[in-house]
Amino acid sequence: MGLVFTKLFSSLFGNKEARILVLGLDNAGKTTILYRLQMGEVVSTIPTIGFNVETVQYNNIKFQVWDLGGQTSIRPYWRCYFPNTQAIIYVVDSSDVDRLVIAKEEFHAILEEEELKGAVVLIFANKQDLPGALDDAAVTEALELHKIKNRQWAIFKTSAIKGEGLFEGLDWLSNTLKSGGG
Amino acid sequence: MFSLFYGLWKYLFSKMELHVLILGIDKAGKTTLLEKMKSVYSNIEGIPHDRIIPTVGLNIGRIEVANSKLVFWDLGGQPGLRSIWEKYYEEAHAVIFVVDAASSLRFEDAKSALEKVLRHEDLQGAPLLILANKQDLPEAVSAEELARYLDLKKLDERVYMFEAVSAYDGMGIRESAEWLVEVMERSKRTEMLRARAGAMGPGP
Repeated sequence: MGLVFTKLFSSLFGNKEARILVLGLDNAGKTTILYRLQMGEVVSTIPTIGFNVETVQYNNIKFQVWDLGGQTSIRPYWRCYFPNTQAIIYVVDSSDVDRLVIAKEEFHAILEEEELKGAVVLIFANKQDLPGALDDAAVTEALELHKIKNRQWAIFKTSAIKGEGLFEGLDWLSNTLKSGGG
Repeated sequence: MFSLFYGLWKYLFSKMELHVLILGIDKAGKTTLLEKMKSVYSNIEGIPHDRIIPTVGLNIGRIEVANSKLVFWDLGGQPGLRSIWEKYYEEAHAVIFVVDAASSLRFEDAKSALEKVLRHEDLQGAPLLILANKQDLPEAVSAEELARYLDLKKLDERVYMFEAVSAYDGMGIRESAEWLVEVMERSKRTEMLRARAGAMGPGP
């Protein structure tokens, strides 16, 4: 997987600094996905501003992960991480049906951010290995993805634990970014 | 006086985007068509054919044809994903329905999907372009033959055209885009959508 990833994303952005945000509610599987991709060491930091951001630097691409939801007081600080973001990977626990409404609300709120307007969106309907997990069509419906009309998006069924679906999603992402994005 | 207002109207709305939905069953060639449109009308080089994967979401392309700004919405065509199509109908100015003209075994599937699209009231009056795609393949049927196969009823009140194209080698692509722009600029539906957008103030 690591090698495939190298092939996909090397020279994608030239020497430009790029950022990909990996977001979702807590326990969606974001960190597991990063580990699965074996791109490098996941560095966990708790900045003084008070929320936990994990960063993986891969060539000139920074992957940054944090949990959405919860404390509203720290939200303004999220914006420190928005500039130069080419893509958002939104990870959903497809088996956590009760919290899909919150996942939806947080998702659309983040898409409203001015500095993220140009970013393409990749959705991972994660935890497909768990019983009761909704499929891609059902997650599409629950997250109301059809409301996105000004940028490219795609959804993939994934199991981070088994490593399934991740590569297909990143393949889409690299293709889309190469062809100029949204 | 009229021409003054007309001029103002044109000025205000000339740069408004026209939304074109690209629909069709899976493997029809919708994304390949989008990429071809992009490479013919802009400097962006499209995704190479062998790198195009089945769409599970929305692809977007923006091009400018004859001073009109077009936005293409290319949606996935697999059966489970077709339920999302109708969410885009209300804001669409026109529809392109892509058919793999070389795959006669799937004409029936294409026909029923298209009939469902045509029945939807949110698409009333939307111009329809039906593409007999994959003309680069020897077994592809012509636009006329496809029209006979599909045997569409209820087309009378709608502006429509069948066109033979190859999204692979570019045959018929310019003709298709130019026809779309022409009919969209004249259509009542465009007028209606523009009036609605105008009433709601500048869009996003």
